[in-house]
Amino acid sequence: MNGVLATYRRELRAFFFSPLAYVMLFFFLVVTGVIFVYIVGQLNNPASPGGPPLKFFFTATWLMLLLLGPLLTMRLVSEELRSGSIEVLMTAPVTEGQVIAGKFLAALTFYAFLWLPTLGYAGMIALYEKVDWGPVVAGYLGVLLIGALFLAIGIFSSAMTRSQLLAAMMTAALLFVLFLLGVFEELVNNDVLKRALGYVSIFNHIDELANGIVDTRRLVFYLSGTLFFLFLASRALEDKKWR
Amino acid sequence: MIEAHDLTRRYGDFTAVSGISLSVKEGEILGMLGPNGAGKTTTIRMITGFLPPTSGTVTVDGKDLFESPREARRQLGYLPENVSLYPEMRVDEYLDYRARLEGLSRGETRSAIAVAVERCLLGDVRHQIIGTLSKGFRQRVGLATAILHNPRVLVLDEPTVGLDPKQIISIRELIRELGRQHTLLLSTHILPEVELLCDRVVIIDQGQIIAEGTPESLRERWTGNPSLRVILKDAPSGAAEALASLPGVLRVKDGGPDGSWILECEPGSDPREEVFRTAVSAGWVLLELGRQRGATLEDIFVRLTTADVAAGGAAKLEGAPPLETPAAPAGENETEEVVS
Repeated sequence: MNGVLATYRRELRAFFFSPLAYVMLFFFLVVTGVIFVYIVGQLNNPASPGGPPLKFFFTATWLMLLLLGPLLTMRLVSEELRSGSIEVLMTAPVTEGQVIAGKFLAALTFYAFLWLPTLGYAGMIALYEKVDWGPVVAGYLGVLLIGALFLAIGIFSSAMTRSQLLAAMMTAALLFVLFLLGVFEELVNNDVLKRALGYVSIFNHIDELANGIVDTRRLVFYLSGTLFFLFLASRALEDKKWR
Repeated sequence: MIEAHDLTRRYGDFTAVSGISLSVKEGEILGMLGPNGAGKTTTIRMITGFLPPTSGTVTVDGKDLFESPREARRQLGYLPENVSLYPEMRVDEYLDYRARLEGLSRGETRSAIAVAVERCLLGDVRHQIIGTLSKGFRQRVGLATAILHNPRVLVLDEPTVGLDPKQIISIRELIRELGRQHTLLLSTHILPEVELLCDRVVIIDQGQIIAEGTPESLRERWTGNPSLRVILKDAPSGAAEALASLPGVLRVKDGGPDGSWILECEPGSDPREEVFRTAVSAGWVLLELGRQRGATLEDIFVRLTTADVAAGGAAKLEGAPPLETPAAPAGENETEEVVS
């Protein structure tokens, strides 16, 4: 537990001390802000079908995670592998799993922190209209679950290579494949395949959650996927020793 | 404190370390000496548990490094060859992080940092950002993290590499000071360091131990015939032959660019007086005449690590002829310069 906590605290500090974090925070707010303004503008049009603005907000913003995932995680393990600080880290009385867990939790915390200001948008809506908070909470849960899976995939990539660029590219590729599976769902005709793809389609998941439907199958999918990639990451780190 | 038994490490087809066994006794400073690429760092990484050996075992303070890694690692403090710290952290933040990683409680952490900062003389820089520190200070921060959890054994991999002479001296003093409270395993390719610091030496080459003992015992064992160093003004012709024919002189060799000759003498003989008389009677101007010191560790090291290793490790110890006076680059003048 010490290992997880110490790594977590260090990584969190590293996030908040790096300029990248603030640049990311800035652009994240700009983009979510633009999306929010656009959605509200469209819904104000009498011709629009209408609906809860935050639902559209979640289904639009999650796509940014395809970019955020690689950026947030590429440094995490690669940098230690490149600089050699992994050597003192792994000769301390901690396990690979603890190190990976600490880093993952720090990334997840920072990720949640990025989303924090968007609560203000919900607040703004609440000033003018009655907000059904259930779907909003479910939407945030969805964003958190998707984020957790993406970050786990990112950490896995980062543990595979000493190069941050390579780690980012690998994460982006894996996330893109995951994203495409959702697109293919619309395209395939085979019934079995369609259902299988529907199960892993992030589009569907975020749509459901933003509508306030919390399906335990989704929880299982994201939690098991996250744990699976974290496990792979710790094995990848362990494997580095053997070469 | 450290028992390494028959350690072997292969990278693919390449064998970096083959069958190294060594033990470091409590309170001892053991020096591990070898040229670059001899397998020192690989051996040290196996002893610290960073690299699993292909075969062999390591115990630290009686605990097996692979069966109970946590207990064993707690007794180990490690300073790797390239001290790599997190440049964006402050010194005390970093020490705090390392202490927590070692599992110290909040209270223990505070006192451990105070002790480590004091022992490694980091008081002036403890609030400074690590990225702005000089290499010498970073090395001290590395040493401070190695002693934070008060381990019984310290393993230092080339602790003075890349430092300027002044920093080297201060790090050596620090190491000697640490050696009073911890058992130390120290790797280096700088010979005077070993003679200055270590109680016992292990010489490694091509992944094997090729000599072992105290610096004195190695020197005794490997000292060759006594020799004299002579410089005659303008190096008169025929002088070399005349000197070679003196009683007690075995051979005369060229001693290098300064025009000196090295006279290899029979054991126990001292032909200095004869040399002087010969020079006077022939009218040569004797500029220098002195006894060469016996073999230094450096001579032994060069002799051992440049010889053909095909004969195999231990065999070489028995079979090799005694040392000749070293060639110019290994000369003792150079040795002195490295020390200062």
